[in-house]
Amino acid sequence: MNHALHGFGLGLRVEHYRDFLETRPAVDWLEVISENYMVPGGKPLHYLDAIRRDYPMVMHGVSLSIGSTDPLDRGYLAALKALASRVDPAWISDHLCWTGVDHQNLHDLLPMPYTEAALRHLTERIDQVQDHLGRQILLENVSSYVAFANDELPEWDFLSELAQRADCLLLLDVNNVYVSSVNHGFDPRRFIDRLPGDRVRQIHLAGHEDHGDYLVDTHDHPVCNAVWDLYAYAVERLGQVPTMIERDDNIPALPELLAELDQARAIASRAVSTKVAA
Amino acid sequence: MTSLLDQQRVFRASLLAETCPQALLAAGRTPVEARFAIYANAYRGRMVAALRDNYPVLAAALGDEAFANLGVDYLRAHPSRHPSIRWFGDALYDFVTREPQALPHPALADLIRMEWAVRHAFDAADCAISDLEELAAYPPDHWPSLRFAVHPSVSLLTLEWLIEPLWHQLQANPDTESEAPERSPHALLVWRQGLAVQFRSLSAPEAKLLDALGAGETLGFACEHAFPSQLADTAAQDVLHTLSALIQQGVLILQGE
Repeated sequence: MNHALHGFGLGLRVEHYRDFLETRPAVDWLEVISENYMVPGGKPLHYLDAIRRDYPMVMHGVSLSIGSTDPLDRGYLAALKALASRVDPAWISDHLCWTGVDHQNLHDLLPMPYTEAALRHLTERIDQVQDHLGRQILLENVSSYVAFANDELPEWDFLSELAQRADCLLLLDVNNVYVSSVNHGFDPRRFIDRLPGDRVRQIHLAGHEDHGDYLVDTHDHPVCNAVWDLYAYAVERLGQVPTMIERDDNIPALPELLAELDQARAIASRAVSTKVAA
Repeated sequence: MTSLLDQQRVFRASLLAETCPQALLAAGRTPVEARFAIYANAYRGRMVAALRDNYPVLAAALGDEAFANLGVDYLRAHPSRHPSIRWFGDALYDFVTREPQALPHPALADLIRMEWAVRHAFDAADCAISDLEELAAYPPDHWPSLRFAVHPSVSLLTLEWLIEPLWHQLQANPDTESEAPERSPHALLVWRQGLAVQFRSLSAPEAKLLDALGAGETLGFACEHAFPSQLADTAAQDVLHTLSALIQQGVLILQGE
């Protein structure tokens, strides 16, 4: 298995299948949404296999529902593992969230309360998932719009403590940190300062929608300046972590995303020299 | 102290009822109601969009507003229970059968079945197909005992309405004004050939033949079932023609004797 992955990637989207096959753009790796390929056959798996021949891949899921109080879905885990043996991804990630309860799936990345009880609940479930998959998983911080009245820890401490206890890895979504920092009024740099740097294995960059009082994580815009600045800060602190642009809606032609990815390359390279200079 | 389970139940119930669970949430620096409403709005929007992905022609036939209303009613009756949103809408036909007033024209129920079959064919399992040479390798007197499987992408639908023209019209231009389909009972075969989803209508004997072979019957039995009253020579030609087409198009896969 290939666990080493470097450089700059993109989320693979249907709109760009032909570009990847025909022009082989200079992207170091691709991230695929696991559920899009957890299907029996046809076009999705055909293109997945074809593009996988040219690009290293990581798998990113949206349905693990690691924080739900429903039992873990064994059928889902089996399908995820089967897909992993097909793709041979450098790693598998999902979100630190719950997506439904009582077997009703809301298909959203819903926030967890940051409590000791939630930590215990999550640690046990991450153990089970990592046992099942036979590998560590990466969990991503989600954007949130509300916080719970019974929160006992700030999100960054919750995330660090969880990664330590469950011995899992982290996917840092810089846009989500920024969105949540505006929505909840915290300093996004403090969030990044408090992360266990050795566990952060991947970075997501994306765009959001500004509603004045709050921001909504939509993945349908280019990365904004505030998020680029925070990304530079993250690279200064964490070093060069494999980074990708995540666009899920209003998907532009591939060259536009490649240009955005070049911007990430340039910012990361400047930030790394700042780190070295410091 | 509220358990995590209780918290998640209250959160979900509030999201579905579109009311803010004040006691559960921290006050924050901006009104919490507006921020909680993001989840409720996103839920409806996301599920209706997922339904539209599975039923694009129905969405074009109904128009945005009517389709969104149907989607929200369906969502209330059939919330998603599958980990992947890909399967949202699997019970839409059952839903409109129970609630026929949900559709402005009964032909749209047939369109729902057709679109779900198209969606199924799109990513159904792959399978090696047969060619005519494999069939020709069997001496003719062995043919009656041959058995076939149908490709995993195949759906054979019995429709009441001629909806294919509507499908073509709205596929080409979703904004076009469409005419109501004619009532014309027929069989529609939907399948995937290579990577391309196909559909075509079948004559009654063709549908019967495919149906019997798909159920695991021998070719001999299926022929008698499908072409019972024809003279032997004509029947043999019709069978050969039908069978060859279904094999070449990747619908039927020869299993042997």
